[in-house]
Amino acid sequence: MLRFLVSLLLGAILGLVIGLYLGWVQFPVQFVNSPMSALDPKYRDEYTVMIAQGFQADADAVGAIQRLRVLGVENVPEYVFQEAERYITNSRSPLEIQALIALSEGLGRTSPLFDQYRPVGVP
Amino acid sequence: MTMPTESTARPPRSSRYYRPRRPISWFALILGLIGGIAGGLYVAWVAAPVEEVDTAPWQLNSQGRADYTVAVMLAYSQDSDLNKAVTRLLELRIDGDPIQHVADTACNLARTGYVAEPGGDTAIRAMMTFYQLQGRTGCADQVMPAVPQASPTPNLLIAATPTLPPPPTKTNTPDGGTSTDGGVTPTPTVRVAPTVAPQQAFAIVRQERFCDADFPGIIEIYVQETGGAPLAGQRVRAKWNDGESVFVTGVKPGRGADYADFSMTPDISYTVEMPGLSDPSDVMISSGCFDATGAQTQSSYRVVFRPAF
Repeated sequence: MLRFLVSLLLGAILGLVIGLYLGWVQFPVQFVNSPMSALDPKYRDEYTVMIAQGFQADADAVGAIQRLRVLGVENVPEYVFQEAERYITNSRSPLEIQALIALSEGLGRTSPLFDQYRPVGVP
Repeated sequence: MTMPTESTARPPRSSRYYRPRRPISWFALILGLIGGIAGGLYVAWVAAPVEEVDTAPWQLNSQGRADYTVAVMLAYSQDSDLNKAVTRLLELRIDGDPIQHVADTACNLARTGYVAEPGGDTAIRAMMTFYQLQGRTGCADQVMPAVPQASPTPNLLIAATPTLPPPPTKTNTPDGGTSTDGGVTPTPTVRVAPTVAPQQAFAIVRQERFCDADFPGIIEIYVQETGGAPLAGQRVRAKWNDGESVFVTGVKPGRGADYADFSMTPDISYTVEMPGLSDPSDVMISSGCFDATGAQTQSSYRVVFRPAF
């Protein structure tokens, strides 16, 4: 009987480890129907840049704020400003930086850091 | 002859009584394993699932997917990069045609109050432009009212240089400036012939972006007569942030007398013009793209100059 119980316990411990590995690592729960506020930071950045590019095209600051609110951001101008500074610090694509700068300044926030990224006027 | 008694009888050599006893019970071990895996999966999937920190666009709810689609279209309206737009749409893991998905999303948004929200109208029209250019249709085409056409501005108002009014005609006027009936003499209206706006000798009749791995990151320039005949030896200037380069058409072997090209550096903005003869082109930026064979390369541009009149 003791042999049976020891074997059962050993199997249960081994099975638990395997089960946790499968459930947490190999086949973790994949959520669907998630809100925009749960977006991965990488996609949040991409979304913000896309909205900034849209602002470059239509110059609609109110629309841009409305679109960024879905990220769950409380202070949209401050958020865009921080994004622009972070993109500059991380030497991201100049076009993306210019878009974020345009939106940040369109929302009333600027910085001396932005100066070097302003597009040069074409005669 | 005596028969062996029962007490001295031995079991056969293959009997389990001759095999050594195993330290574990395989039956119990497998039973425990099954129970353990079941318990582990319950804990991992139900009781304590992984925390959601890396949601991808395809995992968004329908509203989030629509918002993401709108953002992709707004970016497309700014950069006109079809490859990038489609790649971003594919992150939504759409079943079927991603461009038709845009048409369907525009249709849904146009039918809701989204169109009245700030920027809603612009967003839906950006989506319509995108899918219409790709030959798709959607109900937004009917739902959205047509864009009112701006009334044409008379050319008379856009004279490039101010025209001085002609000197007043020396006409005798009665003293006191009054007419015979005692009223004020109306000042005659001076009609000034408008100055014709200066015309450029050449205009850009075509400027398009293309993607070809054989010609990565270049600006192809063609200078032609009105009917398309090549014009050799024409000066063309490419400008970028902190420099410019002047070159002439017809010096590239095998590419025609009207041809010149210029190599672009990725992510730098360029314009081209015919110095003193044309206005500058729209800004061109070379970025990553995939050509018709699926090869990754840098986008290029084609600009055609022809006489303006």
